[in-house]
Amino acid sequence: MTSELVIDGLQVSVQSPVSQKAGTLLVNDVSLSVAPGEFVALVGSSGSGKTLTALSCLGLLPKGLGVTGGSVTIGDLEITTASERELNSARGGRLGMLFQQPKRMFNPNRTIGEHLQEPLRLHQGVRGLRARAKALDLLDEVGLHDPLKSSKAYPHQLSGGMAQRAMTALALAGQPEMLLADEPTSALDKGLETQILQLLNRERHERGLGILYITHDIRTVADYADRVLVMGAGSILEEGRVEEVLRRPESSYTRELLDAALLAPKSRRRPLPAEGPVLALEGVGKRFGRKRKGERPALEDVSLSLGRGEVLGVLGQSGSGKSTLAKTIVGLEAPSTGVISRHLEAGQPHRRTAVQLVFQEPHHAFDPRMTLGTSLHAPLISHRHLTPEQRVEQIQTAMNEVELDPVLLDRHPGQCSGGQLQRATIARALLLEPEVLICDEATSALDAVTQRRILDLLLNLQRSRGLSVIMVSHDMDVIRYMCDRVAVLLDGQVIEVAATGDFFTAPQHPHSQALVSASIPCRALGAWDAAQSRSSFLNVGHNAPPPERFDSSPR
Amino acid sequence: MLHFAAKRTTTLVIAVVVASFAVFLVPYLTPGDPVRKIIRSRVAGEVIDDSSVRQLSQSLGLDDPLLVQYIRWLRELISGNMGLSFGSRTPVADQVISAMGVTLSLVTAALVLAVVVSLPLGVLSGLRPGSLTDRAVTTVTQALIAVPEYWAAPLLVLVLAVKLTLLPTAGWTDPTSVVLPALTLALRPIAFFTSAVRTGVLDAAAAAHIQAARARGLSARQTVMRHVLPNSLVPVSTLLAVWFAGLLGGSVIVEVIFAIPGMGKLLFDAVVNSDIPLAQGGVVVVVALAVAVTTLADFIHRFLTKTVGGPVA
Repeated sequence: MTSELVIDGLQVSVQSPVSQKAGTLLVNDVSLSVAPGEFVALVGSSGSGKTLTALSCLGLLPKGLGVTGGSVTIGDLEITTASERELNSARGGRLGMLFQQPKRMFNPNRTIGEHLQEPLRLHQGVRGLRARAKALDLLDEVGLHDPLKSSKAYPHQLSGGMAQRAMTALALAGQPEMLLADEPTSALDKGLETQILQLLNRERHERGLGILYITHDIRTVADYADRVLVMGAGSILEEGRVEEVLRRPESSYTRELLDAALLAPKSRRRPLPAEGPVLALEGVGKRFGRKRKGERPALEDVSLSLGRGEVLGVLGQSGSGKSTLAKTIVGLEAPSTGVISRHLEAGQPHRRTAVQLVFQEPHHAFDPRMTLGTSLHAPLISHRHLTPEQRVEQIQTAMNEVELDPVLLDRHPGQCSGGQLQRATIARALLLEPEVLICDEATSALDAVTQRRILDLLLNLQRSRGLSVIMVSHDMDVIRYMCDRVAVLLDGQVIEVAATGDFFTAPQHPHSQALVSASIPCRALGAWDAAQSRSSFLNVGHNAPPPERFDSSPR
Repeated sequence: MLHFAAKRTTTLVIAVVVASFAVFLVPYLTPGDPVRKIIRSRVAGEVIDDSSVRQLSQSLGLDDPLLVQYIRWLRELISGNMGLSFGSRTPVADQVISAMGVTLSLVTAALVLAVVVSLPLGVLSGLRPGSLTDRAVTTVTQALIAVPEYWAAPLLVLVLAVKLTLLPTAGWTDPTSVVLPALTLALRPIAFFTSAVRTGVLDAAAAAHIQAARARGLSARQTVMRHVLPNSLVPVSTLLAVWFAGLLGGSVIVEVIFAIPGMGKLLFDAVVNSDIPLAQGGVVVVVALAVAVTTLADFIHRFLTKTVGGPVA
């Protein structure tokens, strides 16, 4: 019996529960197959229908959606017409699934061990002591160092990496033939991501496990996948062996995905401005709460300067004090020690609004009950004396500048995509005519293609408005793509400041060296990189980012 | 856990001490001289002369500083002596204990009834939000919140006791007499519990891990039993404790209407008759029990939620 997973002409649509009539088509005529032991990657930006395709394989589409055409078979079982009983035995049995955000996929009130009992009992018929022993074996197999301790732990006690390993153990417990992995590493950092991928790769070789790996970031799978399928707007746009797709991408969408994934270092090199800095920090420190013994302050003795028209990167891992630094510069937090001096344009030396912040989570940066228009009016009403007509005009201009359709002004944040909202956040910041823009992980929550578009928008604005920008990020590629200079933050202290080129070729501090060496792009992407630099001779001038094609559907 | 226990127990003691001090001060805050009240409670109708007032206040230690008096009162209270009631000249402690017994059985009956009714209702409507059942349950329970006890009680008496003669109209004699007052008392908790269970089930069913459980092959039913229900009941446990504590002193209306010799009736009578020792003793006991129950609920809640404790290495 073959246990190949075959999806043939799959269609998923919005279904009205009353009329059973098919509405909008979300997945359109998707066909793919995964053989035992094969690693197939399904790549696409958010909203492309990847996850719906995976959920269709389990018969677990969300309410209101349904399969309206095509078939999904695993071995001899037809999923779309199977009975609930057959589905229950296939789920977790023949088909295992890994999810994004592993910690949220465990019941917070049950231990990891208790979770593992379920598939063992349901699919292997093992219970009691034998199930417990089997659970420990599984936890050991996925590389959790202390299986006994891990099995007794509650989900919140595990780190993200440990939780994804435990999730893998849970998926393997039913001895699946096929594994559906839906962005299992997107929430993890690079090092952990590699570990999980290596684990999955080993399982496929040892068990003959077929893997359908879903991701928005082609970088993650380029070194592992046998075949890659590119999905956009609900359809498969391109498919082939990894090297072929990377070397000769056929669709423009694939090319954009690759561009976004690569984020080639920016080519423009300007001499650093001769004028004095627009912003200078001297010995800035910040401590939260009372002084405790052995506890480090969030920021310690930070001295930095930002030149006029410069893009400065602040690089640091989570907990390094990046966000505190950003908030302190804007004035949301008062520094405990040190001085922040602003050297703004003449005539308005004390304008508070001259430094604006762009937040990380665009969905949290807007009041969910206000339309975007109302949110954009707010800063103008508080800070500028304008007539209503002037306000509307200003907002229209800002919307144009960030390339957003003014129709969105009447929408609520929940009806907009992450990319649209991040543009709106930028528009809101621009309304107050800032001289300095601080972007705190402004693109971390977005998928690769959207991220690229937002970064290009920021670069355009920086040039056209002569903005000075501080990019706060943990992402080496973003920093390399955007910044003139880099400051590295570790435990609240600046350990290195260097020009971007120098930093990536010869980092000085050991921590910086570790960061740089971990960020070297993967082997397979080199093919695209090489192809790209050859063709770039033909492209003269700056390519404006394309209009938001796949970014415009409401969430 | 030890830290948690120590912290909660400390709050408990502080709450009881503060409440008891407030109760202790009541006679000083009410108009009139407490000593004259005491004398009047013993010898009715006679003219009170100043010398006997001075004599009594000295013998009772009422000339001592307030704090000394409070500590003496507290010491007596802890040893179980709450003084004599002005009205019946019998020990307050005995009356409070017997009234508390009655109220405890009434409140327990009411809350058991409330849980038994609201649990299935809440689960039913929570699992199928927007369904006909859900809308019916939600509407009826929301209406119950607005029904005052002094209106519901006579109505229930009229239907169940007078018309159908299934139950006694009032009093506290045989086991059936608990039914009507418990039912009246349970109406509002039923409404609140049902909506809490419904919200709990909705939240628990919407959690991301539910989909993961289905993907492991648990049937819809198994998922509900193992992952939805247990998680949805955590918030309800807290609510239950709050209601229990509240009803201990809050069943006044029902107890007065049904002539039940419980805590509410006792406090009501004590206040009406200015029976200060009885009111003091009653309030202190109610407060102490209420605080103890909420503390217990904190412990239970802590036991049910597992999202505490540090990372494993």
